[in-house]
Amino acid sequence: MSQSPAQVVGMGTVLDHVRTPQEVALPHVVEFRNVTKTYNAGKADEFTAIRDVTFVVEDVVGKGEFICVLGPSGCGKSTILRSIAGLEPQHPATSGEVLVLGQPVVGPGSDRGMVFQDYTSFDHRTVLENVTFGLECLHTPRRQRDELGREWIHKMGLNVATDAHKYPHELSGGMRQRVAIARTLILKPRIILMDEPFGALDPLTRLNMQDLLVKLWKEVQATVFFITHSIEEAVFLGDRVYLMSNSPGTILEELKIEPATSSANEMQRQPKFLEAVYYIRDKITKLESNQ
Amino acid sequence: MNSSFLDRLLRNWLTLRRPVSRLQAIGLGVACILLCLTGWWLLTQGAAESRLVGPLTLPSPAETFSKFSELWNDFALTRNVLVTLRRVSIGFALALMIGIPIGVTAGCFPRIHAFLSPLIMIGRNVPLAAVLPLMIFIFGAGEKNKVMFIFVASVAFVISDAARAIMDVSARYIDTAYTLGASRWQTISKVLVPLAAPTIFSACRQMFGLAFGYIMLAESIKIADEVGGLGYQIQIFQRRGFREHIYLIILVIPMVALVIDQVLAWIQRQLFPHLYGGDGMLRSLVRITVIPWESLKSLIFYRTPVSLSSAATEERPK
Repeated sequence: MSQSPAQVVGMGTVLDHVRTPQEVALPHVVEFRNVTKTYNAGKADEFTAIRDVTFVVEDVVGKGEFICVLGPSGCGKSTILRSIAGLEPQHPATSGEVLVLGQPVVGPGSDRGMVFQDYTSFDHRTVLENVTFGLECLHTPRRQRDELGREWIHKMGLNVATDAHKYPHELSGGMRQRVAIARTLILKPRIILMDEPFGALDPLTRLNMQDLLVKLWKEVQATVFFITHSIEEAVFLGDRVYLMSNSPGTILEELKIEPATSSANEMQRQPKFLEAVYYIRDKITKLESNQ
Repeated sequence: MNSSFLDRLLRNWLTLRRPVSRLQAIGLGVACILLCLTGWWLLTQGAAESRLVGPLTLPSPAETFSKFSELWNDFALTRNVLVTLRRVSIGFALALMIGIPIGVTAGCFPRIHAFLSPLIMIGRNVPLAAVLPLMIFIFGAGEKNKVMFIFVASVAFVISDAARAIMDVSARYIDTAYTLGASRWQTISKVLVPLAAPTIFSACRQMFGLAFGYIMLAESIKIADEVGGLGYQIQIFQRRGFREHIYLIILVIPMVALVIDQVLAWIQRQLFPHLYGGDGMLRSLVRITVIPWESLKSLIFYRTPVSLSSAATEERPK
């Protein structure tokens, strides 16, 4: 683990160590205290997904932070995300504590919305019915939820008149992910968990979705946890980047990133942006070659 | 010119999965029927003694079809078809009403599935011809016995197919529903069951065809004074030596099955427009009946409507 003083790499600043919950004064949105997850403990196929993960995300007043998690493949990024979501089998942790707003996570809930890489639109529901699914579960009256649903379909850059009553299979991959994001954001979650949401999209759609996500994130003021394989995506979107070790994963470094000042496409040409990207890429390449 | 035609013909017939137009498909089907009829005619043409196949084994097409009006009028074909259909439908509907809820529960909760699996296994593998005499002991020789026979023959399949369909719904849909705040019951009723429904429907559609075959078996056992049904008619014709009538009924049964299957296919298309396109008339109908019920429910159970601005805040941890 690097114990050198904070180091500036382009847009990013590598902190001298990963901050622990004790050090951060502001209220904590998410904190992990020595979390380890081991599957099939004691058996021949015992596997530890994450080991001794400790970090803290503070509640920045008026806006949530955008956290990106990067690391070599199979390092347990999804385990961290699904532990926050409270989804089995990653939840509950084998040891350690996962806290959200100071409370231990006991199970999934709409306060921690999640967007998956696979298209998880409910195929039997139209776009509008997909977007309003969460409100339906809260027993919001139909008229109210349809109104709100249309508003969000519009915000996601879809055409309310033509797309609201389409079925997911009639949509492109990018449009499906828009529906999935709208379906989560409409519930105004405190935390948004995104597991490589743009992983299956083509590069151009991906850039558009990044810009859209930044715009919407500013509006909903949630803390976002974003897992990605794309370092450019992480540096563009993230306020903070966590860099994970090889499996069993733990957090190696924490980087603070300057906020992006222009669109994804433009940012990704700036030298200081690239400097941060290259720094992380070298780290990950080194990790993967040691696997 | 000639060879290019031959080339195209070969290419059309021998290319893997070459699409075929609807018209062509129907034409090819008709060609097959005509071929079979011709074969039948060739085997049975000429005077009775000189035929390749004797009239006692296989009557000629003309002899067979000439008996149709007799079958229709004197032997009340439609009434017998309806009697048979009613038995299958009641027995099968019973199997669906009991089998689908059990199957869905088993699919949702693996422990219940494990608990039921010996019964399902026995139910699927039990020799039905051997069960039939037992059914007569238990339910007597009347209608009840036939209906219950269909029920017993199909319920285990309905349960296992429904359970399988639920289990095959990808876990990511459950995860998604949970992170959107759905309760366990909401996840079952709004996600798992609707996503599994098309699979369950297809399985049941096929099973109905099988049940239609089983009823013949039940109807062919004659005890005391029986009333009607195609299987019963076949028994009578067999005893009287009416070969033509039996062949006709054997031809009628697939036609009835075809009509029923087409009706079921139509229902399927209208219920699941997300799979089969179209306007989903029956789905809309279902929704129209669900909406007032839902509003009524929210009036009774959820008195305080959730306001727009605080739609989700109430769910947040303090």
